[in-house]
Amino acid sequence: MAAIAVHQLAQSITCHAWSPDHSMVAVCPNNNEVHIYRLLQDKWEKMHVLQKHDQIVSGVDWSARSNRIVTASHDRNSYVWNLEGSEWVPTLVILRLNRAALCVQWSPKENKFAVGSGAKTVCVCYYEQENNWWVSKLIRKRHDSSVTSVAWHPNNILLATASTDGKCRVFSTFIKGVDPKDSRTGPSSDSKFGEQIVQLDLSFSWSFGVKWSPSGNTLAYVGHNSMIYFVDDVGPSPLAQNVAFRDLPLRDVIFVSERLVIGVGFDCNPMVFGADERGIWSFLRFLERKRTSSGPKYGSQFSEAFGKLYGQSKHGVGNDGIEPSRSRGGVHENFINCVVPLRESGKSTATRFSTSGMDGKVVIWDLENQTDLSDYL
Amino acid sequence: MATSLRLYLTCIRNTLEAAMCLQNFPCQEVERHNKPEVELKTSPELLLNPVVICRNEAEKCLIETSINSLRISLKVKQADELENILTKKFLRFLSMRAEAFQVLRRKPVQGYDISFLITNYHCEDMHKHKLIDFIVQFMEDIDKEISELKMSVNTRGRLVATEFLKQFV
Repeated sequence: MAAIAVHQLAQSITCHAWSPDHSMVAVCPNNNEVHIYRLLQDKWEKMHVLQKHDQIVSGVDWSARSNRIVTASHDRNSYVWNLEGSEWVPTLVILRLNRAALCVQWSPKENKFAVGSGAKTVCVCYYEQENNWWVSKLIRKRHDSSVTSVAWHPNNILLATASTDGKCRVFSTFIKGVDPKDSRTGPSSDSKFGEQIVQLDLSFSWSFGVKWSPSGNTLAYVGHNSMIYFVDDVGPSPLAQNVAFRDLPLRDVIFVSERLVIGVGFDCNPMVFGADERGIWSFLRFLERKRTSSGPKYGSQFSEAFGKLYGQSKHGVGNDGIEPSRSRGGVHENFINCVVPLRESGKSTATRFSTSGMDGKVVIWDLENQTDLSDYL
Repeated sequence: MATSLRLYLTCIRNTLEAAMCLQNFPCQEVERHNKPEVELKTSPELLLNPVVICRNEAEKCLIETSINSLRISLKVKQADELENILTKKFLRFLSMRAEAFQVLRRKPVQGYDISFLITNYHCEDMHKHKLIDFIVQFMEDIDKEISELKMSVNTRGRLVATEFLKQFV
């Protein structure tokens, strides 16, 4: 069994984030609050409630080194929370947005964070020491629709965005005075803030869930047309691979290793994608194997016909209506919208990760004992 | 149940299964609003292609999908004038009590008899397969209901006529 722990924390969860040591989890229970839970003797105890937003919180991220939480909400604001003593103290970030903020992520060095918004812009925020506040710089005029997901390249400069116009874009976010001069390497060299490095127009429908691989060589994002896209050599001449699958679309992905990707979405069951030796990506399997639907449905035709006949004679009217669709019988009962790697410090692969969804569960998965996947780790 | 009805309903069920991938999505046009995009239609990129499933000319189903909402409109079979009037009255009765059904719309889309509006909030509160079951069950029952009503109207008409004509015997 790949799921090692299931925690019902709320009615439904829009997003969650783990503390640096994975002992605490911050979840948004689909309203304007963020709850922080801590595991105490096999029981989750609510430690703090972060209450400052006045509309639903759409994104939360917990920085690994500086122990700060950033939240973004549909009320157009974002807060950075610092733990002072035993209290989380919020600092308002002036995003200068006029529409909802949809997603947020800390940069790898944690000196910046990016917020995607419904205003068709991306904000990159950094801390200004002399004024003691977070300043936001906007990337305007590039997106034709809402920005649903942002992802930082490990070099702290490149930022990938996914948008509901179906495109995935990569920007340079070099900010003078924040990023050291020599940090500009690779395709981002001598590019200014907000310059578009590449625009990927692969999807015919909305795109979501963009992520970089741990090394930053591969970029993955998903389309609402049940496709996942892998892009190598992000730069002037990118190499793209499209993988179509037959199930419902995905919402978010993570890279477990350079060659293994987990996708979560409307199918309520994480999907595993892997790259073979030649670097060709394909759908491997569902993470949860047991699927109840294939049991009685494929029973012998004779027994089915007999049952029909018997039913008709008994009730007078035919009861061979459409059999009601059943729940999938998996760990998650509603769609999964958030997946977070539980990466141990110093390791590039994350065999553990957690998912949360609209059924209010946070599920921790472990790939350690999945023998068929160990080649890809 | 006739096989064609069964196929029709299975087709609708499968389409709904694929179309009901809804998520919370705030309005791009109006500040601090969150409205079903399928109703507003302000941003064309947030809408998907509508699907029409027809059984015959009289019976069809329109499924319109957007990023955060889904609209299903049904046209119910009306063979004659009596069925027409019964359907109209019965569905009006239901539409007036739309709040009790949550997913029912007060007014049908033009050209259809009844419309349902499913938003991401419904999908959060309710199980997706139960919602789909409800719609399909509703479609299954509505034909039965109408023909029963028709039958009782006819029976009553016959009874009244018999009683009335008795005085002339």
